[in-house]
This record gives sequence, structure tokens and C-alpha cells, in this order.
Amino acid sequence: MTIQRTLAVAAIISVPIWPVSIRAQSQESQNIDTKALLQRIEALDQEVRVLERKQELDKDAQADLAKTQPHLSLGSSGFTLSSADTNFVIGLHGLIQLDSRTFFNDGGIKGNDGFILRRVRPIISGTVYRDFDFLFVPDFGGSSPTIQDAFVNYRYNHALQLQAGKFKSPVGLEQLQSDAAMPFVERALPTDLVPNRDLGVELHGDLWEGTVSYAAGIFNGVPDSGSSANADFDDDKEFAGRLFFQPFITSSREPLRGLGFGVGGSYGSEYTASGVSSYKTDGQQKFFGYGSTVVANGTHYRVSPQGYYYYGPFGFLGEYVVSAQDVQKPGTPAVSATLQNTAWQVVGSWVLTGEDVRYNGVSPAHPFKPSENQWGALELSARYASLDIDPDAFPTFASSSTSARSASAWGVDLSWWLNRNIRVSTAFDRTTFKGGDSGTVTKQPENIFFTRIQLSF
Amino acid sequence: MKTLLKLFVVAGLALVGTAQAKDIKLLNVSYDPTRELYQDYNEAFSKYWKEKTGDTVTVEQSHGGSGKQARSVIDGLQADVVTLALAYDIDAIAQKAKLLPLDWQKRLPNNSSPYTSTIVFLVRKGNPKGIKDWDDLVKPGISVVTPNPKTSGGARWNFLAAWAYAKRKYGSDAKAQEFVSKLYKNVPVLDTGARGATTTFTERGIGDVLLAWENEAFLALNDLGKGEYEIVVPSLSVLAEPPVAVVDKNAKKKGTLAVAQAYLEYLYSPEAQRIIAKHYYRPIKPEDADPEDLKRFPKLELVTVDKEFGGWQKAQKEFFGDGGVFDQIYQP
Repeated sequence: MTIQRTLAVAAIISVPIWPVSIRAQSQESQNIDTKALLQRIEALDQEVRVLERKQELDKDAQADLAKTQPHLSLGSSGFTLSSADTNFVIGLHGLIQLDSRTFFNDGGIKGNDGFILRRVRPIISGTVYRDFDFLFVPDFGGSSPTIQDAFVNYRYNHALQLQAGKFKSPVGLEQLQSDAAMPFVERALPTDLVPNRDLGVELHGDLWEGTVSYAAGIFNGVPDSGSSANADFDDDKEFAGRLFFQPFITSSREPLRGLGFGVGGSYGSEYTASGVSSYKTDGQQKFFGYGSTVVANGTHYRVSPQGYYYYGPFGFLGEYVVSAQDVQKPGTPAVSATLQNTAWQVVGSWVLTGEDVRYNGVSPAHPFKPSENQWGALELSARYASLDIDPDAFPTFASSSTSARSASAWGVDLSWWLNRNIRVSTAFDRTTFKGGDSGTVTKQPENIFFTRIQLSF
Repeated sequence: MKTLLKLFVVAGLALVGTAQAKDIKLLNVSYDPTRELYQDYNEAFSKYWKEKTGDTVTVEQSHGGSGKQARSVIDGLQADVVTLALAYDIDAIAQKAKLLPLDWQKRLPNNSSPYTSTIVFLVRKGNPKGIKDWDDLVKPGISVVTPNPKTSGGARWNFLAAWAYAKRKYGSDAKAQEFVSKLYKNVPVLDTGARGATTTFTERGIGDVLLAWENEAFLALNDLGKGEYEIVVPSLSVLAEPPVAVVDKNAKKKGTLAVAQAYLEYLYSPEAQRIIAKHYYRPIKPEDADPEDLKRFPKLELVTVDKEFGGWQKAQKEFFGDGGVFDQIYQP
């Protein structure tokens, strides 16, 4: 075979081999490429998973960080700033009441009609170290600024708390009701006989999930309807306490849950002229006062059985107060007596728009928003009250011509709760008197028409 | 008036008596992987205490990275007891917040460690990357999952186990640091605690190997993904001794001191030691455990922090404190 033929044969023989080897190489490189691709995909998959996990951990870290950050809230309950663990809280709230009073057929009394800033109270509350609460409430309404409340409360638990400072004395049911929540513009006659705010120390708490509430304290002691100045006018103290039962508060039977009843009282001694008080009408006009020389002269006790019942849009409140006090008219001889004044009231409320009424007010289900046909809540209230002065007060300790022997008052109030914060009220109250025929206020019935615009938060 | 004052005080004392509850709540602040253990243990202790005293004990649990948990207690978390991953974290609570005495570790047997554990490797089924020992973890292309030693007690055990191996094999701290440096370059993500790292490895499918508490590895093997993982026992690891302690100030304030003490003492009881072994922790009284549970624990060389590193105070400062070795080798 010639070299050329050999070469030709070799070329012819090898032709079928070329595609096989190319295919084999190609298959191998394909396998290598596929493996590399799979590895690359796996690596990319891991990278994506790692990124996702890092995002997850970052979110967890941010959530953990948020737990340690202070929390700020602003809403219908005011402004509150609290630490992440809520051991430290400070709240800013407020109460503004702008009233108008119009007296009818008042016998020409001047200066009693008009507008008045009844209450202007910034309310600063808070908690420190979880268990210590505080409240500071100055009032810029009225004739001069005063400190209404200033106290610290230690909460050992719900059942055992210790409060010290200036705060409402635990006696009168209507007196203890929030100024923003009471159904009428002014408190009724029985509140004339109970202490307002006093300086002292009180143990209080709720037992058995609130079925029993108690309060017992020692105070400087104040005259009827009085508030403590920043000093005591005598060295004697007053013990005040209250026991209140809500036996069905945890019951599954809803109609029973709103029943509450109890008794409040005080016992102490008062001396000096600062220890006797005068009494005011619903229109805040004085209808009874002791003689200018009469002084408190010893024991002063009060007892007040009280109760309320709330069910759905209906609410009822009633209380009876006895205030018995030793008084003296100095002279030769001095004349002493124990005078027992009594008062009572019943109040009924009906929320016409159907929301529940409670001791702490009404919360509209549909806050005022006319564009959405929402108009707030409407509450209608009616009240009857009476206060009787001890007949032995006359004529020695009080003038029967200028002070009434008794006062009876009825009133009707319509309150429009636009929302939790804004309330507009109109009320009419009429008080009639027995005795005091020559008194500026008491010689004719008192008829007063109130309006109030209230902002509370 | 004095009579009234006396009545006042007596009434107050009576109410204090009324106010004390017979339902007792304890808060156990623990490290990350002990959820299942304490779930079972708490049930057993509650039953025991009810039978003994008639009182009902409810134990609430908090879990997280051991260091992070210690800081929470220092910052005010009202733990009645702490059951953390390492003694240093409880020492920190004693030193910084003074919530328990400095010699707390002497109060319970075995330096207050009712159980021990160690660090092993968890790999995927079939061990596709052929991981056999610590040296395999520093190879290029290997992805290692371990939590952050700044927050996790388990992570600190992991770190020290790796260091101990490297120092033994390569002969110096410098070489050990180099080794651990390479290892952390292979760590793609740092969880805050051991349970988080387990989640990263098992549920998120990240990594080739998880450095895990032995109990976590068994949990993953038997409960989280049966048949999906394997345990690889390294040639050397660290003896982890998670301690427990009553937080005296908190317990006294809450009136739970006696129950808290009993709660930890019961960890040494036969019943508790059985539960401990069942949950893959090594009981300090193996004679009380089920032998079948004990068979699961592999034998391996274990070093201690005290002998190898001079104790936790020294180790923490040197390796995990600000500016320590970990800060030098790991940049996020």
C-alpha cells in the first residue's frame, strides 16, 4: 500500500471515530459544566438563605430594641410617656370646665350670673419604680390657684396600698366621683356635709377581685365640704374610712354586676372657728351659716350609707349623710351643743343613645363626626336632694332669719358627650328653703340654669 | 384616738395575711436550648411541691442567649432563679446587680451544676462535606453555624472548644487564634443564642455543620428532623457545666425564697436526673438515669475551662470582653 493510500485508508477509518470522541469530550465537559452549575446554584441558594436569615435576625434585634425603648402615647386619655418595662410612667392630663350660670327671679342679687372657669386643672400623674404612683393637680379656676391633689401612693398589691398627701377624704359617694364624670354640673346638697380634700395618710385597697373596697385614713380634719389648707388649724386629727361592696362585680349575671353599696364615715375633733362650715346651694350660693362667733368645740363625726346601681344605659345613685358636730358659742356663759345635720339625695341617669353609664362617666360608642352621621352620646339625669339643719342650731348658733332650716332641690341635666374628651351640659336646678325668710338667697327659691363646656383628657 | 390607731395597724396586718397568695409563681430565666427540659421538669416539680405542701407552683420560663439573659436580670427582670449556660453569667449578676452572694456556686452540689453537656458537630445526612474533626471546619468552602459569643453561652463553649483543640494540635495561642480566625471566616451568620443557631441550620437550611450543645444536636437528630442529620463527635471538646442559682434578692422580695431553693435542689433528685438524661443532658448522678438514655452519650476527651483557660473570669475577659480576641478576629 502506498503511503498515500495508507494515509487515505487511515483517514477513511478515522472519520467515524471523530464524532464519537467529540461527543465523549462534549459529554464530559457537559457533565463538568452541569456539576459546576449545580454547585454555583447551591452556593447562590445558600447566599440567599443567609441574607434572609440575617434580615430575620435584624428584625428580631429591632423588636428586642423596641422593648427597651420608652413608649409614648397620645390619645383620648392624654399624654403618657413610659419606660419599656412600664416601671416609670409620667402622664399629662387635664380638666377645663367653662360654665355659665343664669339665675331667675333671684330677688335682684347682683354678680351671680355670668361665665366662670369652674375648673382649670393640669393633671400630672405617674409611676416610679413600678409600685409608687403620684398625682399632682393644681387648680387655676376659681378665685385663686390652689393645690387640689398632691399625693404619693405605694402599691404593695391591689389589696394593700398606702397613700399620703392631699386627696379626697373617703366619705361621700358623690364627692369621690370624678369631677369630669358626675352627671350634674354641681354636686348635690349631701356633699355639703362631707369632707372634700384633706391632708393625711390612708390605707386602701380592693379585695377579692374588687368585690370589697376599703379605705381607712388619718387626716388633719376639715369642716363640712372643706378642703385642707397646707396646715392644720388645730392639733386634733380625724379618722375617715369607707367600706364599699360590689358583690356581683365578677358575676356572669350582667344585671347584677353594677350594684354597689357601702358606708363611709369620719370621726375626729375640731376646735376653733375654722372648724365650722356654711352650706351652699346647687348654684353655689350660701343658704346656711353659723353665727360669726360660733366655733367648733369637740367631736365631729359623719356617717354616710351610700350606693349605686348601673345597668346598661341606666344608672342610680343615692346617699344619706349625717354630720354631727360639737359647737360652742362663746360668752358668759358659753353655750355648747351637739348639732346633727342630715342630707340625702337620689340621682337617676339615662343615656338616651344607649351607651352604658357608669360611676366614672359615659363613653360614646360613636364619637361626634357629623360627616359620618355620628353624634356622640346623650345623657339625661334627674336628681332630688334635701338637707336639714338640726333645729337646735336656731337661734343660738345660727340666725333663723338669714339661714334656712332646710333646703330641698331638684334638678334636670342634659349632657352631650361628643366624645370621651368633650362634653357639653345644660342643667336646671331649683332649690326651695324653709326658714331664712330674710336671707338674700333664702327669701326666694333659687332657680338656676347652667351650661358647661368641658374638656377632659 | 390611740385605740383607733391600734385598730388601724391590726387591720393592716390582717390584710397583709389575707393578701398573700397560696398560688406561687416562679420565673426561671434560662439559656436558649433548655425549653424542653424545663417544660418537663417544671411539671414534675409542681406535682412534687403540691404533694409536699399543698401549694400550687407555676413556673414561667424565659429563654435566650445566656449572656443576654444575664443582662436582662441585671437590668431588672425579676427572676426567682437563673439556670444559665456558664458560671460567668451568674457571676455577673452577683457582681453588677448584687442580687445574690458572690459565693453562690458553693450552695448546691457539683458547683451548682446539676447536669453537664459538651459541644459536638451536627452535619447533614450522609455528611456530604466529610467533616470529621475541627480541622475540617476551617477548610475553604465549609460553612459553619455557631451563635454569637457576645450573647450566647453555647457560643462561648464552642469558641473555647475550638481554641483548646487548636492549641493542643498546633502548640501555641497564636496558632490557636489563627485557627479560630479561619473558623469564624466560615461563619455566614451569628444568631444570638444556641436555639437560634439550631433554627438557622435545621429550618433555614444554612451551613454545612452546626457547632451545637450535645443536647441540641440530639434534639435535632431525634425531634427536629429525623434521619436528616448526623452527629459527628470531635476528637476533643469542652466539658460544659451550666450552673443554676437562686436570685436571692428577687426571691426574698417576692416571698418565694423557700420554693425557689427547693426548685433548684429538686434538680438533683432521682426523678429530675432521669428527666435530665431523657432530654440529652449528662446527669451528674448517672446512677439515677435510664441506662438507655446514658448509652446515647459518646465518649470523648473533654477539657475544662478551669484547667485549660484558668477559669471563666480570665477566659471571659481575654476572649469575649470588649477588645478581646473575638473582637479582634471577627468583623461583621
